[in-house]
Amino acid sequence: MKQTKLGILLYVILIIPPITTYMESIMLVHMLIQFPLLILAGWLIGEWVLERWPYHFLKWDANGIAGIILVIFITTYWMFPRAMDESLTIWHIELFKFISLPLVGILLRNSWRKLTIIGRSFVFLNYLSMFGLMGWFYIDSPVQICNNYLEIEQQMLGWGFVVITGIMIVYVLQKCFISGTKSNVNQI
Amino acid sequence: MSEMMVRLKSRNNLIVTQMVVTGLTVIVGMIFGIIMLLVQGGMIEAMPATFYQFLTIHGTFMIGAAALAATAIMWYFLSHYVELSKKILKINLVLFIIAAVMVTVGTFSFEYAGAWTFLYPLPALSASAWGTIGALFYLIGMLVMGVGFLLLFIDSGRAIIKKYGSLGKGLGWDVIIGKKAEKDAPPPAVVASTMVTIVNTTALLSGSTVLIMNIINVINPAFTFNPLLAKNLTYAFGHIFANATIYMGVIVVYELLARYTKRPWNSSRVFLVFWTMSTFFTLLVYPHHLLMDSVMPRWMLIMGQVLSYANGLPVLVVTAYGALMIVYKSGIKWDMASGLAYLSMLGWTIGVIPAIVDSAIVVNHVMHNTKWVPGHFHMYMGLGVIAMTFSFMYFLAKNDNGLKETMVDKTAFFMYMFGLIGVSGSFLTSGAISTPRRFATHLPEWMGPAQFGAVAGILVVIAITIFVIHFIRYISVRNKGNIGSDYYDKKLA
Ligand code: HEM
Ligand SMILES: [Cu+2]
Repeated sequence: MKQTKLGILLYVILIIPPITTYMESIMLVHMLIQFPLLILAGWLIGEWVLERWPYHFLKWDANGIAGIILVIFITTYWMFPRAMDESLTIWHIELFKFISLPLVGILLRNSWRKLTIIGRSFVFLNYLSMFGLMGWFYIDSPVQICNNYLEIEQQMLGWGFVVITGIMIVYVLQKCFISGTKSNVNQI
Repeated sequence: MSEMMVRLKSRNNLIVTQMVVTGLTVIVGMIFGIIMLLVQGGMIEAMPATFYQFLTIHGTFMIGAAALAATAIMWYFLSHYVELSKKILKINLVLFIIAAVMVTVGTFSFEYAGAWTFLYPLPALSASAWGTIGALFYLIGMLVMGVGFLLLFIDSGRAIIKKYGSLGKGLGWDVIIGKKAEKDAPPPAVVASTMVTIVNTTALLSGSTVLIMNIINVINPAFTFNPLLAKNLTYAFGHIFANATIYMGVIVVYELLARYTKRPWNSSRVFLVFWTMSTFFTLLVYPHHLLMDSVMPRWMLIMGQVLSYANGLPVLVVTAYGALMIVYKSGIKWDMASGLAYLSMLGWTIGVIPAIVDSAIVVNHVMHNTKWVPGHFHMYMGLGVIAMTFSFMYFLAKNDNGLKETMVDKTAFFMYMFGLIGVSGSFLTSGAISTPRRFATHLPEWMGPAQFGAVAGILVVIAITIFVIHFIRYISVRNKGNIGSDYYDKKLA
């Protein structure tokens, strides 16, 4: 249960008010650091959750598809600038954030290994193009999208997305072109 | 029937269904093509808005059908070498049909007419010619279609990597650098499939990005995007996706001629090098669609021009040369399938010439957006990819049941050939006299070629209907009899 403890620790750190406030004061950190850390915390805690309720996960999400769809819905919701904006001003949206994103982590931990390689690649590639689009969206937007963040911050966030997309592309390329090991399989 | 036979039959059933859907889509699409020419030729009256709806449906259906047919060809032959998922093939077909319905509804019920290239910001800025709903039906329809194809190429990529180690090895890079002997090189079908997997995955990702961008813009026009980047992504998608159909279709040429001549078609080192070159070129040449955008970085335009010369050529050369060599003194028996395969090489070769001419910047200044452009792509799509498609259909019919071909089929072959040369020729002529493309109404002096093209188009549709009828006859025979006289299938069984 080492991971679970780590996860709880991370979660607790993230909800310490000054830390929360600080992270949320910078758009880039809010979306590209706080969100992923919340997901990571959930993923770590997932170790315990999956052990505690294995049958539920088996029953409700045998092939990983149900879980991943939920993951996609929640993360897509959080990619809307408006959602992020509201989390700063409406307390129950903020609460929802601190519940839903760790949930994404838990679900991801369960679903990802159950998905077939086709499913995983499909999800991955979709996020790749979605992040690329987000980068474009935030960099290019002619208006200030959020009440709480300036346009310049939007653009920083956009570049953050572009960097992530770039890293994902490099990852795909090395996966497809380099990591092959079985070179001499030559059956007909 | 052995278990193997049952498996083969279920595989072939799926492929056959996919080919029927393709055949019917092509016929419907061509009928809209003829109507457009009749309108342009002043022979029938139609509102310009209606013309653009037809243009949209024609472009979308034709590219879609060509891609569907080409993936069936790729899938069928690739599945002889690697283990592909039938479920994914099925999902792709279902998504394609859903997408076709959505596109049709968007175009005809909600009057979307922004052409299959959906170039930003046209979907949102239609001057009230169509509304949000029509654009959304169309754009989301295209997205659905993209999802299906993306799944399909993920699967082919997965299967190739599993068997050969990496996509690079699927292209035979270890043979090229001499780490592996030429005789152990991946077969042509695998090389071609690997190439298409790479380029089409790229195309689909950039396509889906720009589609969702358009969707955001249609829903909320306050969100605007950089139109130049949008155009780049759109043509990266459009060019590659349309172009890749021929690289999938050509697999039938390799496999069919090898079977007919009973000579193996192995990948030589030159063959591999040329395919790798075409892989890169295909990814890089799309800027030839932006030669008029003077704000583009100059080097990109020059790259687009120079590589366009080189783009299709390597593969075309090794394939045409290989096709001649394999047939030479082989005592091959000519029939519909091999005849169409040869015809497709011809169409491809002739079609490439005006394309290369047009990708020169100086010529493009004159020919850009004239009917010269549809002139060349109707040649290599219509006489290239579509001929490959029907070659494959006749091949399946013959191999599975030995269904006899008649004089009618042979006549149809020539009708098709001359008809399509007529259609493309009429476009090229129009282009040469500076007729703009995508104009619903033509000046009187532009009408002649359009009228001629319409007549030629009717010939084509009759011919293709005969092809499809032959194929449907095969299905009804095959449901009674048994299947699988495919030489390679026998070996598997
Ligand atoms: C009987 C055969 C055909 C006829 C009569 C026909 C007719 C036409 C016409 C009149 C146009 C519009 C030209 C213009 O811009 O003014 C067109 C465009 C087009 N056709 Fe065809 N066509 C035929 C076959 C095909 C085939 C086999 C394909 C591809 C597989 C194809 C793909 C396209 C595409 C992609 C466009 C461009 C649409 C656009 O500009 O948005 N066509 N065709
Ligand atoms: Cu092009």
